[in-house]
Amino acid sequence: MMQNVKISSYQFLVLVILFTIGTSILILPSDLAENAKQDAWIAAIIGTGIGLLIIWLFTKIGFWFPKLTYVQVNELLFGKWIGKALSLLFVFATFLFTATLMYYSGTFLTLHVMPNTPMAATNTLLAIVLVMAVRLGLETIARSAEIFIAVFFLLFFLLVVSISPEVRIENIQPILEADIKSIAQSSLFLIVTSSVDAVCLLMIFPAFINQPKSAKKTFLIGNLIGGLVVIIITMLCILVLGADLTARQMYPSYGLAKKVNIGNFVTRIEATMVALWLICLFTKMVLYFYASIFGLGQILNLKDYRPLTYPLGLIVVILSLVIFPNVIYQQKFSTTTELYFSLTIGIFLPLLMVIVYAIRKKQLKKNPDHS
Amino acid sequence: MLKSVGILLVAAIILFIEVPSLLEKKYKKELIVFSMLLAIGVGLGMAHSMGKSIPNPNDLLTFIFKPLHDALIR
Repeated sequence: MMQNVKISSYQFLVLVILFTIGTSILILPSDLAENAKQDAWIAAIIGTGIGLLIIWLFTKIGFWFPKLTYVQVNELLFGKWIGKALSLLFVFATFLFTATLMYYSGTFLTLHVMPNTPMAATNTLLAIVLVMAVRLGLETIARSAEIFIAVFFLLFFLLVVSISPEVRIENIQPILEADIKSIAQSSLFLIVTSSVDAVCLLMIFPAFINQPKSAKKTFLIGNLIGGLVVIIITMLCILVLGADLTARQMYPSYGLAKKVNIGNFVTRIEATMVALWLICLFTKMVLYFYASIFGLGQILNLKDYRPLTYPLGLIVVILSLVIFPNVIYQQKFSTTTELYFSLTIGIFLPLLMVIVYAIRKKQLKKNPDHS
Repeated sequence: MLKSVGILLVAAIILFIEVPSLLEKKYKKELIVFSMLLAIGVGLGMAHSMGKSIPNPNDLLTFIFKPLHDALIR
């Protein structure tokens, strides 16, 4: 089912940046500040650093077989049945993450933007766009991301500049008060959401990129730029709102944008934050959805993955309505179970692949797809 | 009731869009997978619209990972 779709390494960079920022831009500062208090920005820096190491591991795995996707590599390494079972787990994870992100967007929109609209309506609208994007293919997704990134950085720059008069340097002091354990605990959230979950990008890296060699660098640089954006947002949250308020709010960056006040004239520009969040969220969701549908197509050896989009789009909407009965359940789930699940999919499984690859190296070198 | 009719309508539209091209290309396996997934989707949608509780995959995950969590955080 290999299609002749190729994206350039710049387009891949854009996708990685938007994927890394993803949900982190709106909800992560609260998770970071919960344990690390005013040292959340240190946790963000450490998280980005460790995240880069994980991305490096992914690029290593990707370059064993430059022409195959993650699901195919799985099948090659573990044999037909175990490989397919592990790939099915991967597909299940990405599919569940799509539904989770759709729930995030649905709750946010119904809470803050359109309170009288039911969540099913906003999620259905999003799902229609999602299905459309995946049906049109990876090239379309990449090109739309190219347009999005310009809008994103324009709005982000606007936000950072207009919030800067509100910065209170006292909020960040005393520096390095938190102990190592709470900083490590906090940075784990960032590592998982922006780097470990990037395992789904192995479905397009490096098989669908026309310059695989430079894409390796691109993957790392994209992750670093995304990490910097998260660090800046976290720092601004702490500097403007203070550690307590940041930790207590569900959407701290949204509260940050509400604080903007330039001469009592430019006020309440939080709609820019909504735009930023929807751009990142949509790109991340589309990549998850693409990975799950394309992966499922490859597991079942289908000739075309497009017939799966409509039914799975329907299931995603229903799942997004039922997976979290309420916000408390969601908060507890995403701080405990989701972390372990992501780590299993994104760290444990790749490390298992590394071990199996090391054992079977001689045998696999004969494969024509090996680099 | 209205919601169930809506879901059936959506399913009908999906069938109308997808099935003719699949039959034309004689993609048998794709058609089987497509129908199964659509049946699951419609089934879940009907159950949800009638207020029945759907098994939550997150409960399963919580059940699997709870022992690990308890072992780590103590």
